[in-house]
Amino acid sequence: MDAFSMGLVAAMGALATVAGASEDIESDIGSQSNPNSQVQLAAQVGNPHRIYNKAVSGEPPANALWAATAAIVAYTLITAFQMPALLALVAGASVAALFNGVFAMSSYFGRNASQARFNQWIYLDIVRYTTPSIMAHAWITSFCIATISYIMVYMLPTPHPFPMPIIALIWGLAVGAIGSSVGDIHYGGEREFQNRQFGCGLNTMLSGQIVRKAEAGLRNSIDNAWFCTKFGGPATGMGFGLTVFLDNWRTAVFDPVTQASYAIAMGLFFIIVMVIYNNYIEKSLRRKYGPYPEYKGDVAA
Amino acid sequence: MNFDINTIVYILEIIVGGLLVGIGVHFVPVGGAPAAMAQATGIGTGTVQLAAGSGLTGLLAAGLMMSVTDNLWLILASGAVGAGIMIGSTMLTGSWIYAYAVGVPFASAKVTYDPITGLSQPPYIAPGTVGHGIPTVCFASGLIGGMMGGLGGAMIYYPLYLINGNAALSAMFAIGIFLVNAVIASWNIQGTIEGFHDPKFKKWPFAFRACAIASILLALASVLITGGA
Repeated sequence: MDAFSMGLVAAMGALATVAGASEDIESDIGSQSNPNSQVQLAAQVGNPHRIYNKAVSGEPPANALWAATAAIVAYTLITAFQMPALLALVAGASVAALFNGVFAMSSYFGRNASQARFNQWIYLDIVRYTTPSIMAHAWITSFCIATISYIMVYMLPTPHPFPMPIIALIWGLAVGAIGSSVGDIHYGGEREFQNRQFGCGLNTMLSGQIVRKAEAGLRNSIDNAWFCTKFGGPATGMGFGLTVFLDNWRTAVFDPVTQASYAIAMGLFFIIVMVIYNNYIEKSLRRKYGPYPEYKGDVAA
Repeated sequence: MNFDINTIVYILEIIVGGLLVGIGVHFVPVGGAPAAMAQATGIGTGTVQLAAGSGLTGLLAAGLMMSVTDNLWLILASGAVGAGIMIGSTMLTGSWIYAYAVGVPFASAKVTYDPITGLSQPPYIAPGTVGHGIPTVCFASGLIGGMMGGLGGAMIYYPLYLINGNAALSAMFAIGIFLVNAVIASWNIQGTIEGFHDPKFKKWPFAFRACAIASILLALASVLITGGA
């Protein structure tokens, strides 16, 4: 291991953290993925709202598309037009952001138009000022992931055999999977339902009763981004950053040619630490929160 | 191309890889959209999404290992560990949100006592929900599933790379075979599952048969097509 490759792995970890955070906030502004079910349902149960509604697809395929688009454009510009890497990556991310904007807007128009019978309006002001911030976050995500792929293929001492677009596709799938498993809970489980008692999951009876009023005026998706930036976004960033950093750190510290088994043992060690940490969280929560008062049976140990 | 004994071994490896993916998906504790609202136990996303995210991260690790060695065991272990790290960090950071943002203790509605830690579950289930968060048994099950996915992905990638020597082509085929098996398994799961302790897990033989048929067809196609490339 040399200092240069360690620095590259650290940079990849940092880029991944930013990518994870921006991916989650992008999906929260647009209400993509799982919490979208409630946004979609809200109008149908008599709660028309001013929240952006763009379930283009599940987050992993969507982000895989955007990251792979950015990487393909960058790869083409680098190999065919000898463009400097940084500029090529910027150009790639911009094309991906344009794709994202088209998908987001057509999804918003399509979904809300189909809910006209439930009195759900299409708000042009929402489209005008929310779409650019969705695109901006998608730009950050695709730029970071395309850069990670570039580093893995062209700069690390053990270059990855896959071409840049395939690596970007896989990392895009991974960041989408993490964003929808981690950050979405903060948006769906907490932000959408701040009108119910804190500290319990969403009671099925409250489905569709999302919060529609803000501190001042009506709540929109920018308010949701403000809230989710405080915890959901950074936690998603940590999840994806840990994945990229730990996965590459073990092959940077231990040479995969001569010390492959150490690299694998190190990975197993990380996994065991995670199990123990999760178990610690579980036990400390039970201690601090206690059982639900509505529970009528005996509380066993 | 020559259709010799090696080709048959490659086909068998791809089939075993596909089956590992198909069965591995059953272990991953996914609660779908209800879990994102802390309304069901497990990770708040879809089955295929998470299995693909982790398994393909494993494929990246396996691909890197395969570029420096041809030792099958190292490649397989690398794939499994890469996938395990991804799914482990996802579940861990997801746990932070359940714990510190939504504020729910972790509880499973499918069992009265956690089979691993022995902790009782019903008192900690919020009214109107079917559990929430990721209890230890779900975490362990998720790790097993994710690692089986990574193992399967590596197992598919390895023979394909030996046949055509083209990492990009092999990776694309591996991703495709992976997704087909993951989707078949998630139809069997019907949306949500909590892991190996969930009664739905007993349905795995159906997915096993369906994945076996799909994998045989895909293995034949991929061996022939990439062989000609």
